[in-house]
Amino acid sequence: MRLPLPPALPGFEHIRRTWNDSQEFYTARILPGEYYVTKGDEAVSTTLGSCIAACIRDRVSGIGGMNHFMLPASAGAESDSWKAAGLSTGTRYGNFAMEHLINGILRNGGLRQNLEVKIFGGGRILANMTDVGMRNILFVREYLKTEKLRLVAEDVGDTFPRMTLYFPATGKAKVKRLRSLHNNVISSQENSYIASVLKKPVTGDIELF
Amino acid sequence: MSSANELVKDIRGLVTLPHVYIEIGRLIDDPRSSSADIARAVSQDPSFTLRLLRVANSALYQFPSAVESVSKAVSIIGTAQIRNLALSMSVASSFEGLPNELVSMQNFWRHSLLCALTARQLAKLIGGCDPDALFTAGLLHDIGELIIFNRLPEQAKQALLLVLDSAEEIQVHQAEQQVMGFDHSEVGGALAKEWNLPGLLEECIAHHHDLARCQRHRRETALIHLANTLAVMAELDTIDPLDVQPIDAAAWEITGLTQDCIEPVVRETQAAIIEVERLFTVKR
Repeated sequence: MRLPLPPALPGFEHIRRTWNDSQEFYTARILPGEYYVTKGDEAVSTTLGSCIAACIRDRVSGIGGMNHFMLPASAGAESDSWKAAGLSTGTRYGNFAMEHLINGILRNGGLRQNLEVKIFGGGRILANMTDVGMRNILFVREYLKTEKLRLVAEDVGDTFPRMTLYFPATGKAKVKRLRSLHNNVISSQENSYIASVLKKPVTGDIELF
Repeated sequence: MSSANELVKDIRGLVTLPHVYIEIGRLIDDPRSSSADIARAVSQDPSFTLRLLRVANSALYQFPSAVESVSKAVSIIGTAQIRNLALSMSVASSFEGLPNELVSMQNFWRHSLLCALTARQLAKLIGGCDPDALFTAGLLHDIGELIIFNRLPEQAKQALLLVLDSAEEIQVHQAEQQVMGFDHSEVGGALAKEWNLPGLLEECIAHHHDLARCQRHRRETALIHLANTLAVMAELDTIDPLDVQPIDAAAWEITGLTQDCIEPVVRETQAAIIEVERLFTVKR
């Protein structure tokens, strides 16, 4: 029997949610560049190629959510040297994605000291010269370290795209590896997200916390 | 609205079987021809000759001594299998005239080869099925995809997005049915008919997602159904059936195989793929 749809938190009403009939839960499906926070008994899911999804929750109250982002390849900076070059302009987009999600959780009653994090994605799904996925992984690990956030699980890297499903209420995450058949479709979604990000100037309501 | 048959008619002329395959087939079917005639037909195609000798000397056939001549290769491998090999070795290049942007050819052929290697092993395990015919069937089982990707790229993309975006897990052929009203197995089956491929290949290609519709080659088709899933396991480096598309229970019943075969077969396929990929795919 289909349960009533849990109310969406303010700011997340536009995220599409679908009912899974065989396992009986709602899933908020996020696309590259989006994030979703919930207090309810529902899942958040996304499909990742070289992008990262950070899944963060308050392990006491169960408030939490997921983001989905990647860093644009910054001109002239190769995957190995971005770290040496300090925070390149590209990492701003990663910082925004992480801060949006964390602020969304705190704004809805989560406590910073209770946060736990799982990270997924960063696959090397195209045989390119540069490993964009690895760059995203290095960024998010570094971010968590700097912000002293607790990483409790990860499934990152390798050559597979991933379907990721996360239940903030319990912290349970499911990751399904996808066939390479899907690589091109996933990476074209990710590329059009990156193109749209680069067109917009970086502004927004980011506060420090 | 296109149908599977119309799509195949559409590509007539763009994708053709190589002359050497057709010639070998004609000679095999001709009772007056000898294996020397077949060897001569093979030798007419230098690039096929070279590749045939490389395959004959590869780990795929564990011959104790080096195979140095075409006539030796034909006599050891057998004329029927030379026909299969000719088809297997040329199918990737036959489809170069049908490019697409949805899937890289390398990824497409890797799955096909993983399925071919797995099917060959499974045929050896159960006995009574020709391992080389099963190899070819595995290599060709998804051939309809290449036609769909090239002729109906928008609908094919919609179908792939549907797989990625459904609340319930659905498979590619089910998404194709929803979007187009037919799927790659029907298109592949129509192509096999158009090309007059042996009935075994046609049934394996046409029914590997729907064993109930299979009429004559049930064991072979069930093996391709199993091999298809085991090939995905090899690709994703897992032996957990929950990580991949479900296997039809009928496939286990028809073949008499059990789940115990999964791990050794997947591991063996993973070990063999690198060498075989070099032999059967198009070099860039």
